[in-house]
Amino acid sequence: MEAIRNAFDFSDFPRLDMTVAGAALVFLLAFPALPHSSFAMATMIQFLMFSLYGMGWNTIGGYAGQVDLGKAQYVGIGAYTTAVMMVRWDVPFWVSMPVGMALAVGWSFIIGYPLFKLKGHYFAIATIATSLVLKDLFEVWDFVGGAKGLELPLRGNFPDFLYLQFREDYYYFYILLAMFLAGLLFINGFRHSRLGYQLRAIKDNEDVARSLGINVHWCKIKAYAVATAYVAMVGSFHACYNFNIEPEDTMSLDLSVLIAMMAMLGGAGSLWGPIIGASILVPMRSYLGSWLGGQAGLAGLDLVIYGAIIMLIAAVQPRGVWGMVEAVRGRRRGV
Amino acid sequence: MRKTMFLMVALLAATLAFSAAGLAADKEVKIGVLYPLTGGAAAAGRVLRAGAELAAEIANQQMSGIDMDMAKNAGVKSMGGAKIVLIVKDHQGNPQLGADLAKKLIKDDKVAGILGCYHSSVTKTVSAVCERYGVPMINGSSTSPALTTRDFKWFWRTTPHDKWFTKDLFELLIGLTEGKVKGVKAVPRQELNILAAACEKTEWGSHVSEEIKNFAGEYKFELAVNLLYAAKSPDLSSEVQSMIAPKPGAMLFASYASDAILMVKTLKSLKAKPKLIWGQDAGFDKPEFREMGADIEGILTRSVFLPSVARVKKVSGQVNELFKQKNGVDLDGASARSFTGLQTWVYVLEKAGSSDPKAIQKACNEITIPGDQLVVPWAGVKFENVGGETGQNVLGMGLIGQYQMQKDGKIGLEIVYPFNLATADMIYPIKGF
Repeated sequence: MEAIRNAFDFSDFPRLDMTVAGAALVFLLAFPALPHSSFAMATMIQFLMFSLYGMGWNTIGGYAGQVDLGKAQYVGIGAYTTAVMMVRWDVPFWVSMPVGMALAVGWSFIIGYPLFKLKGHYFAIATIATSLVLKDLFEVWDFVGGAKGLELPLRGNFPDFLYLQFREDYYYFYILLAMFLAGLLFINGFRHSRLGYQLRAIKDNEDVARSLGINVHWCKIKAYAVATAYVAMVGSFHACYNFNIEPEDTMSLDLSVLIAMMAMLGGAGSLWGPIIGASILVPMRSYLGSWLGGQAGLAGLDLVIYGAIIMLIAAVQPRGVWGMVEAVRGRRRGV
Repeated sequence: MRKTMFLMVALLAATLAFSAAGLAADKEVKIGVLYPLTGGAAAAGRVLRAGAELAAEIANQQMSGIDMDMAKNAGVKSMGGAKIVLIVKDHQGNPQLGADLAKKLIKDDKVAGILGCYHSSVTKTVSAVCERYGVPMINGSSTSPALTTRDFKWFWRTTPHDKWFTKDLFELLIGLTEGKVKGVKAVPRQELNILAAACEKTEWGSHVSEEIKNFAGEYKFELAVNLLYAAKSPDLSSEVQSMIAPKPGAMLFASYASDAILMVKTLKSLKAKPKLIWGQDAGFDKPEFREMGADIEGILTRSVFLPSVARVKKVSGQVNELFKQKNGVDLDGASARSFTGLQTWVYVLEKAGSSDPKAIQKACNEITIPGDQLVVPWAGVKFENVGGETGQNVLGMGLIGQYQMQKDGKIGLEIVYPFNLATADMIYPIKGF
């Protein structure tokens, strides 16, 4: 009961934040009804996916302060569980998704235990290594299609809610939006939970947290498992949305870095940070590529601009966009 | 009064006639083109794009110097002279981005169909989008055999695929042992018996790796190493070292541009001494690769087009000359296939007489383009559903070329397989590094 109350407790945010969040929610709900291009819809779906990835990453990377650069391995576990179950045993998405989340969480406990014996850069490097090793294993594992990956069979009877196969993207959009809202509420509850406070204490000073009786190692493992559940859920969705997965696509280091970068750029350790990060980087990446990527003589310019903007934000405010907002508020309050 | 009425009717008729003529002239058919214009395969993307653009240019105006039917008309004649308009997008080698861009092309830009995508992994997701929306896609340059085994109704492929190409390689190896290769005496079997292969590990490379393994077994060669590697890898020395270790007679590769160059540089730095090096086109057939000059002398690459084809096929020479004028380089396997892909689109539209997807689908399934229309040395283009494949051109053919020093001191490709088309003596063994 308290968990549900916590999930809906946004009282620590100023009214302005809630007004903006409410307006954004109305916009998201109405988006498919507004005039839009299909590319805008595809971009919105990417935005929701990366917001969820970022929310998950934020639990361990933001609240617990552990820089995790290996999240793609769990995207892969979620995606592959759904794809394998669907291709081999014809299992619907709504069954394979929780199985994928459970497998990913199980794996996170197995590798989380030794991983959290490490700190700082060593931890970050270890997360990269575990992710790449798992990717390499998937690339030679014939049961999951090896490096060629798996292609989900087109069932043809659109719309198919059981197997998540739709002709029109707004179905995917609303399903993902429901996951996004559920994910947001869960994270909000997580912030107010005992584990949430423990993680922030750990982030501030591990030794002090330990002296207060907090089991630092176990707290980190639990936060890691929460983060894992998020990305595995989106991974399962990704398999159905894309109809095709391969290790290079779902488990690459690029994806791990992108997940971390979006959350950090938006503002790690804040509720809105990952959403802000995704809302800036996803459209920028898509539209710059679409506008400039195909222009003769301008190929690559989109990536230059994209990189320059990321560097600019990182240079001006290392705490990300949300850090800028808080800095402005702090100045107004005279803090 | 009657005179005024007559004048008004005449004026109205003239206006209608002019506007009808204007409409006919303004008619256009949009084709979405998806290629990797940035990233590791950007070099390939540039020539792929140039190939498609040249085909569109020839189709859109009468060109007396090109012996092709599409050069005789200005636009698609059966569609009132409709001009081909290409909408080119960069998928960066990313399957998800490719799928999103395909949706944009189909739903926002209202293209009649799609041409692309080079990377087999991207072609896979893009063709799945086309299948969902019932929009035709013609693929000219993706060679993963799996693409035409999915029973898709809206996907056709003009290029031969890796199963054919890999078989060609083993026929060449056997030909070497039997003394069939121009300029080479029969080579003892044990000299070539050990093979080592390295393929990039996406959809395309992993399929090539599988085909190499299958054919090595079938032709009874010992495949000592068959590894997969990341095309984006900044260092390939451990891969090359494990290939050198069993002292293979032949080294086989499936690489994109940057990794093909890195692979050869690493072979050189580690002083590899194979008797033969073969690349499965892609990176081994790019202008950047040729810039390595003498270092690549003797290396083989499979292709569907080599500049030497232009010497023996008139229409290839005509198009190659035009391509060279515009881009400063000869047509290669990628650009020639992209040209052929778009050319197929033009002939299909000509046959369909409409941009209606059903009419295009019917035309694709019925069309036969004679070989004399094509720049590539194929018997033609005819899509058939045979041997568990759907929409595969059954009249295609592969070539194997060898980099040799030309009279002008530049490196160029000479045909060594098929044996009856050989344009020069094969260099065997290669001098090594």
